[in-house]
Amino acid sequence: MPMDAVEPETPPPATTDDAPRVINTDDGAKDGLAKCARCGATEISLNVATGHLRCGFCRFEWSTDNAIEAFNLNGDISKLTGLLVGSGSSDIVPSTDEILTFKCSACGAEVVIDTNTSTQARCHWCRNTLSMNQQVPNGAVPDMILPFKVEKSTAVEKIAHFVGKRKFFAHPTFRAEFNAENVMGVYLPYMVVDINAHAKLSGQGEHQTRSYTVKVGDSTQQRYDADLYNVAREFDIHVNDLTVESSSDRLDQNTAVNSNNIINTIMPFDVENSVRYDSNYLAGFTSERRDSNLDQLAPLAHTQAEDITRHRVNDTLKFYDRGVRWAAEEVDVRGQRWVSAYLPVWLYSYQQRKSNGKTFLHYVAVNARTGETMGSIPLHQSKLLIVSGIVQLVGTVIGLVLVAVGI
Amino acid sequence: MLNLTLWAAESGQILAAGSSDDDSGGLGLVFLLSGFVFYSAIYFRYRNSDKRHGHESETEATMVNMQEHDEFVKARKGLSNRRMSGANNTAVRGASNKFSTGIMSKFKL
Ligand SMILES: [Zn+2]
Ligand SMILES: [Zn+2]
Repeated sequence: MPMDAVEPETPPPATTDDAPRVINTDDGAKDGLAKCARCGATEISLNVATGHLRCGFCRFEWSTDNAIEAFNLNGDISKLTGLLVGSGSSDIVPSTDEILTFKCSACGAEVVIDTNTSTQARCHWCRNTLSMNQQVPNGAVPDMILPFKVEKSTAVEKIAHFVGKRKFFAHPTFRAEFNAENVMGVYLPYMVVDINAHAKLSGQGEHQTRSYTVKVGDSTQQRYDADLYNVAREFDIHVNDLTVESSSDRLDQNTAVNSNNIINTIMPFDVENSVRYDSNYLAGFTSERRDSNLDQLAPLAHTQAEDITRHRVNDTLKFYDRGVRWAAEEVDVRGQRWVSAYLPVWLYSYQQRKSNGKTFLHYVAVNARTGETMGSIPLHQSKLLIVSGIVQLVGTVIGLVLVAVGI
Repeated sequence: MLNLTLWAAESGQILAAGSSDDDSGGLGLVFLLSGFVFYSAIYFRYRNSDKRHGHESETEATMVNMQEHDEFVKARKGLSNRRMSGANNTAVRGASNKFSTGIMSKFKL
């Protein structure tokens, strides 16, 4: 959301307290058969090459509106007060079904959509595709979606290249089973947050004035002289498009038990190019439903906003080349805007079965907008230990010689 | 077993980092620890368990209405550390991958 000095055309009505104001993002959205405007077919999918939706029958192409413009999300962050939330980011009502049933308007049959993996399903009887675009409080339909831009063939190449450079110590079973063609395109759920905050930091900083060596016994040691200062900074900070995972599974990044940190690493996405939600973007891909509410995600987002503040203010602290020790940090959030988004990831997953019976899910992930690639490859532990042992043995000999001659 | 490997990998990193900036016997020490160093280098190259999104630097943010206050306190002499003790202006607290900002972050200056 670029910070043009553009104000929302219709400012949401002021409400009392900190009750969130809602940006309606599913006006006009319809469930059911989404038909091609030219020929009426329901065989619609994303053309990754153009970023447009395309009718699989008559090849007609069209696109949906940019979400940032459609919902006036590019309003000046400095004017942001209170809490502004997209209607697709509202709290999940636990009683809301995850499996929803729709009546096919072409043949009258009942069609089931499992919102855990998609917001679309095909009617088994007449083969038409049914879409769900209206938001129900189960986290399945977000405020906006960022379509895939990296082709599957490119993702396959990137994953094969990444793994190819990590073959020697890879587990033999993985080496035998690896096939980059098994990559899946998946839309993962995120919250995109703009924050208007007032920051106050105070503490002390040190500036180096001299660096020299002194003799201690028969060795020389490095010493430093420095000037100590009291330092304070007070300013407003506008954080744009801070992006956090909104699925509890993906937020768990304990690297001893999972490799979700891999998917975290391929951020950031160009979320400003997100479009209004249309289930047709999901055709051929899967999705993961958001299961976390704003209350659960706000502490993380605010801590990250504090990190951003602390790092950004370093621009004004270059003089303190020995560092600054903040004694007090206050980042007072005055306004925040939350919208939910599906962001596109090419995901290769590999379930490793370990000798102790446990399993570990490894990922190689490609950001389907930027192509950034990261992965976790199962190791051949015994091979690595043996080679490390040999390296240690050779190293010890050389090391002892070097220590003996005093290098 | 995994915890043990993580511990070994972490120790390797500590030892590798510890031996990189002292002035005497450094090269010899690196060789004496070469098995650890090699193990951890390969471990992180394959598993990337130290990686995360750098939200603190990769998120767009602008500062406005800046007020700065800098006041000289005193000169300090003969300090043995290159960095100010307790400096926390590059701290990261909001990473979901705690491993990347725990012991690992000490070697990412
Ligand atoms: Zn058509
Ligand atoms: Zn039907």
